[in-house]
Amino acid sequence: MTDTKRPREPFAPWDRRSLPGLFDVEETAERIGNYKWVEMKLFEALGGWVATVPELDVKLRLGTHCYHHAWHAELFDKRLPELREMKTERLTVPANDQLVAFFEAMTEPEEASMTIEKLVGVYRVLIPYKIAAYTYHRNATSEITDMPTVRILDFVLQDEFNDWREGEMLIQSMIETEAEVERAMNHQLKLEKLMLAAGGIAGPGSIGDPYVEIPEEN
Amino acid sequence: MRKIFPAEELARDARFIRQTNEQRLSDPRGARVGGGNTSEQLAKLTPELANGPDRARALMHGIFVGEIQALEGAGRTCWDFEVGEDVPFELKLDMARQCWDEARHCEISVSLADHMGTELGEFAENGLLYEAACNPDPVLRLTGVNRALEGLAIDVFNTMKEFGNLAGDPVLEFCEDWMLADEVTHVKMGSDWLRRLTENDKERLDKALEFQKVVDRLFSFNGFRGEDDDSPIQLTRRFRELAGFSDDEIDEIADMSREARAEAPS
Repeated sequence: MTDTKRPREPFAPWDRRSLPGLFDVEETAERIGNYKWVEMKLFEALGGWVATVPELDVKLRLGTHCYHHAWHAELFDKRLPELREMKTERLTVPANDQLVAFFEAMTEPEEASMTIEKLVGVYRVLIPYKIAAYTYHRNATSEITDMPTVRILDFVLQDEFNDWREGEMLIQSMIETEAEVERAMNHQLKLEKLMLAAGGIAGPGSIGDPYVEIPEEN
Repeated sequence: MRKIFPAEELARDARFIRQTNEQRLSDPRGARVGGGNTSEQLAKLTPELANGPDRARALMHGIFVGEIQALEGAGRTCWDFEVGEDVPFELKLDMARQCWDEARHCEISVSLADHMGTELGEFAENGLLYEAACNPDPVLRLTGVNRALEGLAIDVFNTMKEFGNLAGDPVLEFCEDWMLADEVTHVKMGSDWLRRLTENDKERLDKALEFQKVVDRLFSFNGFRGEDDDSPIQLTRRFRELAGFSDDEIDEIADMSREARAEAPS
């Protein structure tokens, strides 16, 4: 028979989660609002591009990925009221004007001959920055007080990794000449500079700050 | 990327052949598949018909290109309208979901076409479906696409499912049933959004229903889809009811088809 009166710790020995986290409720809500804005802009663009892309496999992948990012936007939208933001559209905003400029440049290519540029913008620039920001948030927030956000980010990151891999493979399969390598790199360079100015998908501090402050010597 | 992308610029590879309806009617492949005269064309699609298997192959190719255009149309609705100003956030989520569904339908139908021995590009494509998805009013667009065209898809998939059953083709029957389930969901989306977005706007509701009729009429040519026993594509009452159609609305589509049939050249 099990001794039902025998005490056990609330956290099992292998459960090393701790209370402290880097983000308070307000900061979490602001970041989640920024994420939702990014996911919305991305799924809208992927949906819009479907009609402009002649490559059949790319067309179908964009349609599939469009929904993945819409679902992420929905998950973030549902999290906002739980973070005391009842008017979710108030926080559904870009982190800054530079991020708006990034999205304008990323969604500019329309011609049927520009599939490489469309894919590079999403899969070589935006999604790696999303993975970085979401991973930082997931690892830096409290795994106890903010576990609902962690769970959302875990689901979202799973999609992001899968979609990134598919997108990167599509890009590699489309680049067949040195001129196309240059096209891809030039577009990536242009967009990387804009993302640098934005500081990441949640603005400066998207992935924290690894540098150490050293007091100035007199 | 601009808002509202014209049908004539839809991106396709070299295998796809775009034809107008007029060109399609004079295409000898159409006569081979459809039958030489109206009575041959207006026969229920079954494997026993002399041209039944060819007609089914042509229809599957038509489903495939229709699914591509449905994917493109749903995608454009995600892009063309602004949340808050034009449409609710949830409507765009539904359209993104529809993109995924249509992408899967493309995968299913191109695989089924191959299964039935059809090459991509063997039959022509026209842009009628996507044109309905270019309406600048999101309510009219959803009504035309999700209620009229996706409603037609319910009828087509149910007919093909029965064809698969009669032909002893479990792969065809199985896949069509799955696509049918998705289409009922899409039509219901259209019915729900039409009701929600026009709750206090009778004029817009009337306009949307009129646009739906125009699209329904366009796809009822020669009584191709109807309730008569020999209609090639059978109007499917049960699934349309599940998707939010009233009995009166289904009756109206059946009447429209009978009229189209009566007007068809003999």
